[in-house]
Amino acid sequence: MTTVLPESRAPQRASRGAPRRTGPTLWRVLAAERTKLTSVRANTWLVLGTVVAAAGTAYGLGMFVRPDDGRSGSWVVTSGFVLAQLGFLVLGALVGTAEHTTGTARTTFTAVPRRLPVLGAQALVAATTALVTAVLALGASYVATAVAPLADAPALDLSVPGASRALLGFALASVAVTLLGLGLGALLRRPAAALVTGVVLAIVSDQLLAANPSRFTDTVRSLLPSAGARLTQDDAALAALDAATRGPQLGVWGGGVVVGAWVLVVLAAAAYRLRRHDVR
Amino acid sequence: MIEVEALTKRYGSTTAVDGLTFTAPPGTVTGFLGPNGAGKSTTMRVVVGLERPTSGTATIHGRRYADLPAPLHAVGVMLDARSVHPGRTAYKHLLAMAQTHGISKARVREVIAQTGLEPAAHRRAGTFSLGMGQRLGIAGALLGDPATLILDEPVNGLDPDGVLWVRRLVRDLAAEGRTVLLSSHLMHELALCADRVVIIGRGRLLADAPVKEIVERSERAGTVRVRTPDPEPLTRELVASGAQVTPQEGGVLHVRGASVDDVGTAARRCGATVLELGTESGSLEEAYLQLTGDAVEYRAADARGGAR
Repeated sequence: MTTVLPESRAPQRASRGAPRRTGPTLWRVLAAERTKLTSVRANTWLVLGTVVAAAGTAYGLGMFVRPDDGRSGSWVVTSGFVLAQLGFLVLGALVGTAEHTTGTARTTFTAVPRRLPVLGAQALVAATTALVTAVLALGASYVATAVAPLADAPALDLSVPGASRALLGFALASVAVTLLGLGLGALLRRPAAALVTGVVLAIVSDQLLAANPSRFTDTVRSLLPSAGARLTQDDAALAALDAATRGPQLGVWGGGVVVGAWVLVVLAAAAYRLRRHDVR
Repeated sequence: MIEVEALTKRYGSTTAVDGLTFTAPPGTVTGFLGPNGAGKSTTMRVVVGLERPTSGTATIHGRRYADLPAPLHAVGVMLDARSVHPGRTAYKHLLAMAQTHGISKARVREVIAQTGLEPAAHRRAGTFSLGMGQRLGIAGALLGDPATLILDEPVNGLDPDGVLWVRRLVRDLAAEGRTVLLSSHLMHELALCADRVVIIGRGRLLADAPVKEIVERSERAGTVRVRTPDPEPLTRELVASGAQVTPQEGGVLHVRGASVDDVGTAARRCGATVLELGTESGSLEEAYLQLTGDAVEYRAADARGGAR
């Protein structure tokens, strides 16, 4: 203690004109996370890419729809989900892992040492971005399939039972996949690990199991996050899916419940790891 | 005021920090010195709550870091210049930090100006040189106008201008009554700006004392250096009076056990011509090397090493 200075030379807080010296609140962390998401150009490109992928896929698949297929107009508009979900998964995974891969975690979690508000804010910001992206993707898909001449695909008709719910479902499923990516990203902390896990859970497993239908595989399929894609279907398509399965029939909202449960479990695991474990 | 008490941090079977106790008092620049892998960065990460101690405590103003109501206002932290998203501009990085505490944009611009980052403020951090990254890290540490600063290797990669600037900055901050804990593996750097040094090796405390005291402990301290064209008679004379003489190159003798006055008098007695006479002061480098000599643990492949 060689040079402890008298109290009078300590920094004069009041005279520095700093208004309040208060700490992080959820709103403040939310503002910070919004700045972080919007200030990385890759995220903007990802949103645009997802919109283009959705619209392009909807247009491409729409070309093969015949009037006697039983496909509705909403099926065509939401069909882009099959590719767009990859964009949502990447968006979530990037938001979830960016802290840990870039070292930003050191800055973020020294500013907010309680940590969980950061994960909560990231979930809100990513979900909002996903919602906006989904609405843009639906709009682009609608325009792409309505304006360009598609051979025989039916036009979007909201009076078809479940058609408007399928459009809403597209947005909900997009948000769910984004949050799944975010949770996996925050849990695994590595983009490659998060993406591979997400793609296997949300896309590949369902396709593999579908190739080999049985009571067992159909039951597993109904319990995977990929069941969330059912949200994008109208009533007739859901009835057809339930009629074909040998596993449990998920009905209208069952797929949404399954993916929602996955999101909650993965985010809870991520929160546990974030709270209990070291950050580097 | 930073207080570290009996702090131990293990990763599996590796002990990074081993029962470390030290205090960084306010109004003082405390140097935190140790070879790579000694546990400096680990200690700092535990102090700011990024890692949990295996045992022991680390507190700031008597509180655990995680319990501080407004961390950025209490403690400014720069752990690693690479704590920034490479795709984000310096301004946005600092803005996001500021927003967590409701700090104004004006203050963000203020620290950008203070750290000389204005020309680069709207460039992505990925394009920054190491020195600019350091400046950005220091800007982040200053953002909340904190009473305590924890800076891990702040002069790493800075140009001479930047080194001088950091030296003056930490001196000024301490003069304002703030607590500054500054790690480095460059001993001469700390000799120039620290009041006291905490030296660690292999996670253990080796010394905690004012810089001057550490220097005086050095073996060479108290040695008289004399240059003469007649080393033989002078050596004989000095040895006869009980001093130890070690001949060096160029007619220089290092004398222990005799003062400058003794050596001068002895030279007159034996008629030796003295060309140069003075005391050798030990350097912090030497003191440091002696202290850490057996504590150096160089592990090139150790990802957890002190300075990354």
